[in-house]
Amino acid sequence: MGYSRDILTISKWEVKRSVGTMGKNVLPVALILILLLIVVTGFTAKSGLHLQDGIYKVGTNDPEIQLLFSGDARFSVDLADTGTIQRNQDFYDLVIFNRVVWVHDTDRGKAAAKTMERDYTKYRSNVYNQQSDLFAAYPLWIDVQYVKSELDFAATQSGQQISVRPRSNQLPTPTGPVEPVVLPEASIGISAEELRANLQQSSSQNSQISRYTDMFSGSGNALGTYKTPDQLSPPLPFDSIILVFLFIFPLYFMSQFYMMSIMNERVGRRGELLLSTPARPSAIILGKALPYFVGMVGISALLTLWIKASPLIVLPLIPVILFFLSVALLIGMISRSFKELSFISIFFSTIATSYLFFPSIFANIHVVSLISPLTLIVLTLQGTAITATDYLYSTSLFWLSAAVLFYVGVVNFREERLFSQSDLFAKTSDFIASTLSLKRPYLSLFLFNAFLIPFVFMVQLMLLVLFFNLPMPLSLILLLVGAAFVEEIAKSLGLYSLIRKAPSFFTWPVIVGASFVTALGFLFGEKLLLFVTLSQITESVFGSILFTSIGVLWMPFLLHFSCVLIVAAAIKKGGEIGYGIGLLAAVAVHCLYNMYLILGWFS
Amino acid sequence: MKAKNIGLVMKKDLKGLGHERTILLAILLQLFIALFSSFLMVGLTSMYDPSALSKYSTTHYHIGYSGNDSDLRDLLASDTSLRVYDMELAPALQSLKERKLAAVVYVPDTKPDAVDPVKITLYTIKNDLQAAVVDVKLKEQFVKYEGELRQVRAERIDEEPIPLDIPKSTGGSDFYEFVYGLLIPLLVIMPAIISSALVIDLITEEYQNNTLETLLSTPIRANEIFWGKVAAALVLVPLQAGIWLFLLMLNGITIVNAPQILAYVSIVAMLLILVASITALYYRERTAAQFVYSTAIVVLMLFSLALADNPMNLIAKLATGSAGTEQWLVLGLIIAVVMILSVLTNRYASKSMRINQAPR
Repeated sequence: MGYSRDILTISKWEVKRSVGTMGKNVLPVALILILLLIVVTGFTAKSGLHLQDGIYKVGTNDPEIQLLFSGDARFSVDLADTGTIQRNQDFYDLVIFNRVVWVHDTDRGKAAAKTMERDYTKYRSNVYNQQSDLFAAYPLWIDVQYVKSELDFAATQSGQQISVRPRSNQLPTPTGPVEPVVLPEASIGISAEELRANLQQSSSQNSQISRYTDMFSGSGNALGTYKTPDQLSPPLPFDSIILVFLFIFPLYFMSQFYMMSIMNERVGRRGELLLSTPARPSAIILGKALPYFVGMVGISALLTLWIKASPLIVLPLIPVILFFLSVALLIGMISRSFKELSFISIFFSTIATSYLFFPSIFANIHVVSLISPLTLIVLTLQGTAITATDYLYSTSLFWLSAAVLFYVGVVNFREERLFSQSDLFAKTSDFIASTLSLKRPYLSLFLFNAFLIPFVFMVQLMLLVLFFNLPMPLSLILLLVGAAFVEEIAKSLGLYSLIRKAPSFFTWPVIVGASFVTALGFLFGEKLLLFVTLSQITESVFGSILFTSIGVLWMPFLLHFSCVLIVAAAIKKGGEIGYGIGLLAAVAVHCLYNMYLILGWFS
Repeated sequence: MKAKNIGLVMKKDLKGLGHERTILLAILLQLFIALFSSFLMVGLTSMYDPSALSKYSTTHYHIGYSGNDSDLRDLLASDTSLRVYDMELAPALQSLKERKLAAVVYVPDTKPDAVDPVKITLYTIKNDLQAAVVDVKLKEQFVKYEGELRQVRAERIDEEPIPLDIPKSTGGSDFYEFVYGLLIPLLVIMPAIISSALVIDLITEEYQNNTLETLLSTPIRANEIFWGKVAAALVLVPLQAGIWLFLLMLNGITIVNAPQILAYVSIVAMLLILVASITALYYRERTAAQFVYSTAIVVLMLFSLALADNPMNLIAKLATGSAGTEQWLVLGLIIAVVMILSVLTNRYASKSMRINQAPR
């Protein structure tokens, strides 16, 4: 009772304080700027984004052709007589004589040809969809039916393409039972006028803006699965940039305020007053965070209303909001100066944005895209239903890591940490050390490493997104080495911080014991999280590895244990330099193990 | 104003940055994004442009063909990367589920010159990389077949579009526009935005830590402090942008006119830094200044993007080598604005940094 009252009181203070400082000077300016923003957005929507204007040069002697491409600002089309153009032909990317296009053999020329091809296709469909006999102009319709297959996530995780090749030219024969199917109807079942309306709608989205915003309109596939051949290829993904910035940018902004509010408590030791109140640190932290959390959820809800989307969109954003706030808390607590604050927050926001953004590009294509909560938003906007499993899969890492980060913040919300001026690495190490108890070193190391797993997974999934599309041997090697690096660094964090805090405590037997629990905790967390999240998607693949035989678990445990021991011993022997060397050695061992066991090399 | 004093302040601030080692983060960030964009390029290219993928693999895609025989079957069979099998629909679909086939096509018994359209059914696997590639492969043949059918029905079409013979693009990448028209302008302008945010930190820090008084008690004058900070923020811009361009070139992206691009970014950065420093001088407090400035920058960027020949567009055109004389005109215009703004800011800085140093 008293605890939640504390939180509310501190929230009220926070609102009062920020309204007080921001009120008189900032609010009027902010209002003017927001009005300006609306005006400018309207202006930009009208005149289009002129980012790629005139990057291609076209020369032609045919005024009809000039007119044809005058609508696309990417082309600057010169109309001149044949002789003039021929003399300057190196200047042009494309030269059009007698309705034949000559392409300059450069990257730019080729790109121009591709853009022109696309424009021409659009123009052609504009002519064709006016025809009175639509089925003469569009004689071929394709009904795309999707078939569900058991996805082999393990294979795609290692960057492989799944393709089972039948031997030579043998007719493929299914192994499973063949279910009888109803043959599709020959007639299309939709009137020509409805199809025409659909065609016209999708080809009219030709303006400069819609190049970027086709996302919201669902690419004009209103009639479901019927498509002409031209509509068949997957939509280009760059549109989701807009989406990400629309939702993520305000969240990033609001978390900045929280970050600054924490930082301001530290400037000139102002926060001493707050610390001297009976309120517990967690109440202070949560109380300060509450107004920003409410604000961020409110903004997301408003944006959802604005683009007239399903309110379900807000659900995947909540863990993202919490994650942003928890990171903001720690950055506000660790930075020594405003400059450092800026750099760290820009660094973090770029990485977080890429983690959120890049997977969502593949929203329609690959299951890996589900690691980003934004994919859920893209799917919801497209009208695809998301299941509770999808939700759990793509948000669980955010929930978990936000919780862990808040915990680290709460433990360290004390005078000696807040007002110290040690540098970034030392401070991070101090922060980690505070979460570990020397009274129960084994238990805390076990828990620490288990809770580290969400972060390790996030980084590894990021690596996966980075690498999974590279050509085969390269992607696998990079993934193996990268993953080994991440895991070894993660495992060493707790031990390193603790040894740094109390070097004398770590005798050789203690080092061995600590390595043992570190490996155990890491393995435990890894398997638990794999079971909770990934196994949902793979259904059987991971589940069987987990539970069929305990023997399988011995091998990774031995690996983790020996690698941690190498690093710990190196720290004890060689200090900071030893740490680096030990880390490299552990990574090497880890990679060799993976190559031997997973890839079957050297055997 | 003495250049020596400005240099002193600049050195002090740059040293502070170096001492905190945070500049390392900025460089790390650049590496990360450069890495990411190159991987993204390879990944996306292989996904959306199967001809690029075929460089890496010689996979044949197995297609089940079911229903009536048609010209489409011959077209599919003529594509060397597809292997067509005539099958009944039911076993074909089961094979597809087991991934023994990449796609199944069903063609009904509709005459090419019928009144009704030919409606074929395409079965593929959802959410799958391979399916996306196969779709693109099949599309080529579908488009050809559509052309054939159109020929058969040509008499029924009232108006033919202007014919235009565009050669089939050979290896032209969709990502040319993405790289030159979006990635390069954004990446290059980023240092300008970072530096303008940095100048706010440099100025408000002196107010909020009460260190400005100490600085002013030295022989260094108020506007010298101010310009020292501006200079510290500004020198980082061509440096960072230069690293960007260098990294992109390492990734095999040709960039012509790199020096002009750097000049452009620097002068745009100067403009942004001046706007940012006015905000910082006015508010003397980081939260308010950063908030107002970042909102203003969004308005400014959006507005400039709506104008023809805006700096971002010019950077794209410079990078592709298609910029004309208009670039010098725009450059001159921005320089003029910067000059006027500098004079005004100088006056404001020397006045406001002396009086009443409490945050507003």
